[in-house]
Amino acid sequence: MIKRRHFLILGSILGLSPYVYAKTDDSFERAFKKIEPTLKAVQAHMFPQGSKLPSADAMHVTQFVYETMQHPSFDRDIKAFVIEGAEEFMQRTKGKFLSMTTAEKEKALRAYEETNYGSSWLERIMTLTMEGMFSDPIYGANIKEAGWKSIDSYGGFPRPSTKYMGR
Amino acid sequence: MYDVVIIGSGASGGAVAYTLCKTGYKVAVLEKGRLIRRDEFSKDELAYCRRDLVTPNLFDEYHTIEEKVDGKWVATPTYESGWSFWNGNIVGGSSNLMSGMLHRLHPDDFRLKSKYGEIEGANVVDWPISYEDLEPYYDLTEELVGVSGHYEKHQYEPPRSRAQFTQPPTKENAVVKLLDKSCQKLGIKSLVTPRAVLSRDKGDRNACYYSNFCGSYGCSSGAKSSSREALIKPALATGNLTLLTNTHVKYLHSESKDAVKYAMAVDTVTGKERRIEGKMFVVAAQAHESSRLLLNSANKYHPHGLANTSGEVGKNLIFSGGGSGQGELHKDSLKDIKFEDLMTTGLFVNRSILDWYFVDDWWDGKFKGGSVEFMFEHQNVITRARKNNYKEGKLLWGKELGEHVVKRMTEQKSIRFEIFNDWLPNDDCFVSLDPTHKDKYGMPVGKLRVEGHPQDVKVGKYIAKKCEKILEEMGAKNIYSSVSSAPPQNLVAGGCRFGNDPKTSVLNKYCQAHDVPNLFVADASFMPTGGSVAYTWTIYANAFRVADHIVSVLRTVA
Ligand SMILES: Cc1cc2nc3c(=O)[nH]c(=O)nc-3n(C[C@H](O)[C@H](O)[C@H](O)COP(=O)(O)OP(=O)(O)OC[C@H]3O[C@@H](n4cnc5c(N)ncnc54)[C@H](O)[C@@H]3O)c2cc1C
Ligand code: SF4
Repeated sequence: MIKRRHFLILGSILGLSPYVYAKTDDSFERAFKKIEPTLKAVQAHMFPQGSKLPSADAMHVTQFVYETMQHPSFDRDIKAFVIEGAEEFMQRTKGKFLSMTTAEKEKALRAYEETNYGSSWLERIMTLTMEGMFSDPIYGANIKEAGWKSIDSYGGFPRPSTKYMGR
Repeated sequence: MYDVVIIGSGASGGAVAYTLCKTGYKVAVLEKGRLIRRDEFSKDELAYCRRDLVTPNLFDEYHTIEEKVDGKWVATPTYESGWSFWNGNIVGGSSNLMSGMLHRLHPDDFRLKSKYGEIEGANVVDWPISYEDLEPYYDLTEELVGVSGHYEKHQYEPPRSRAQFTQPPTKENAVVKLLDKSCQKLGIKSLVTPRAVLSRDKGDRNACYYSNFCGSYGCSSGAKSSSREALIKPALATGNLTLLTNTHVKYLHSESKDAVKYAMAVDTVTGKERRIEGKMFVVAAQAHESSRLLLNSANKYHPHGLANTSGEVGKNLIFSGGGSGQGELHKDSLKDIKFEDLMTTGLFVNRSILDWYFVDDWWDGKFKGGSVEFMFEHQNVITRARKNNYKEGKLLWGKELGEHVVKRMTEQKSIRFEIFNDWLPNDDCFVSLDPTHKDKYGMPVGKLRVEGHPQDVKVGKYIAKKCEKILEEMGAKNIYSSVSSAPPQNLVAGGCRFGNDPKTSVLNKYCQAHDVPNLFVADASFMPTGGSVAYTWTIYANAFRVADHIVSVLRTVA
């Protein structure tokens, strides 16, 4: 059994972000806003335009990640990890990721993937992005079922009428 | 005061509630989860399969799982590992979410020790009842709860009192032609899987509409034979059932050595505590939680836990042994059937193999084997899109990812087998109370030590090899199987063995506590050995049997 959280937390060079302990949610919002452009750019690199899958930009997957992590059913350790992994990556790339060329971005991401911590962060971002793209359109990132159409695989009926079972 | 208070509304609790309410007794079912009605279920993968929305949040309620690491026992809380041992905490319990592949036990499963003798390191004992005692209740389950299928004679099919299933089998994907043909070629007999799914309307329950998302999802037609549809609803209709949802039982309170007085419950929404009194108490919380509840009910009259003078509560927990395997059927190499037919969604594979239930092999010897179910890989879209996207150990992304995923999702379909063999009861598989960890209600969480017996893996591997051959014969690609001693958390039994000797068992043969006559345990906790099939048909059947006994006891009291 993999000790998922040990790995997530102890692997972080920056340690636990203070918002994990904060009572109000606006500290998460603030932390997310800081990493948002980088996260968005990473997702865009993973899901570029011109691929057989819809592009990250067209599918609002960054907004999906933000919203799904805000829901109480989301694992709080993973929530922290998503932010910390992005912060770590921003440090490694000295805040320059956004202005890199595609080839440079590829190099930076693959270098991050070489570390255990970086590779599990990238895995997590891939999972979250696919969760958005291939979940029910009600969650906002499988717009007009473009995700499902691209792989000719559809969710079943009945479709949900509320997000997260209305919880 | 209720005649009977039942803890848990799942397969076992539902069967007891149904019988008692129909007979006219006043029953309360205490269910920690909420009610989700038939028309509220959806196929929302994110909600049902990727977040804890039908099970407790692991940071609030969890288990600790003890495994041997480098020769030492290490307990990991499930909020840390993410490996949840909750299986469905809503009205109807995990029976709402089951895939519904059901089998009866074989008569020899009731007398494994007499038949196969001692196995070193395993605590195998015979059951105090026989297949004949349970057969009428298997039959009742088939008819009342609803099991569809088609009986064909086979040396390891247990005898049945009804010639044929009243519900014909569910519809099947064309792949069964290929599967049957391949089995035939190998001299293996493939049988139609009995399924807790209605193929025809039954009362207010509609036939299956082949939604393509059965296991892990609630059913929107009423076709799946969950406790909620088949038992709790009709029990409510009698007017004798009080269903208390969001009602978590912390412990059972006793004020003497020989009777439970009330259940101490907490409203999971308001946090308010309340006592619920009854003449009889039936624990049906699913095996591992039932043992935990008894242990958490310790007080001065029951210092080691309720019904635990034998010290056996929690011991000999079992799961389903075995494993699974898979292969891909590719568009460009598909034999005998059309690719479009293979890709038709929703229809079942519906095939089981019992040929290796008992093995007498010239090379491997004579031993108790297991059963096999064939099915398609679960159709969840996110899970399938996300898996295996690697090249040389690196995550694929960009256009390459697009090519890869689209090809995999549109040009092949994976077929899978699952093996079920005995999980031999042993001293290193049990539930106890964790000494430090408590749930959000302040009660110690269940600590599960989950070690398997080496024989289980041996048997699983023997069968997996045979199944891989079938996939090969079908022309499948990239075949693999995985058999390990990791427990499937949704198929759990044991912990409160039934038996005739109060020194070595917790329950008598009617699943009544030896120590405490007004206490019964109705779920799979009673099973001293598990047989080589999934448990739920046996759980339903035994709970009906237990309920009949409770009725006879209540009658004598009256
Ligand atoms: C995805 C999935 C697929 C499955 N597929 C199959 C299959 O193909 N074949 C098969 O045979 N079996 C299958 N099963 C297993 C089957 O669902 C279970 O064996 C069966 O439902 C167990 O019945 P039970 O009454 O013991 O427990 P459950 O049906 O789980 O019911 C227990 C109930 O007790 C409640 N409860 C627990 N503790 C408390 C408490 N302290 N206070 C109040 N309430 C409490 C729970 O919330 C739950 O509702 C599957 C299970 C799952 C999850
Ligand atoms: S409609 Fe059929 S396939 Fe779908 S959940 Fe119900 S029983 Fe399962």
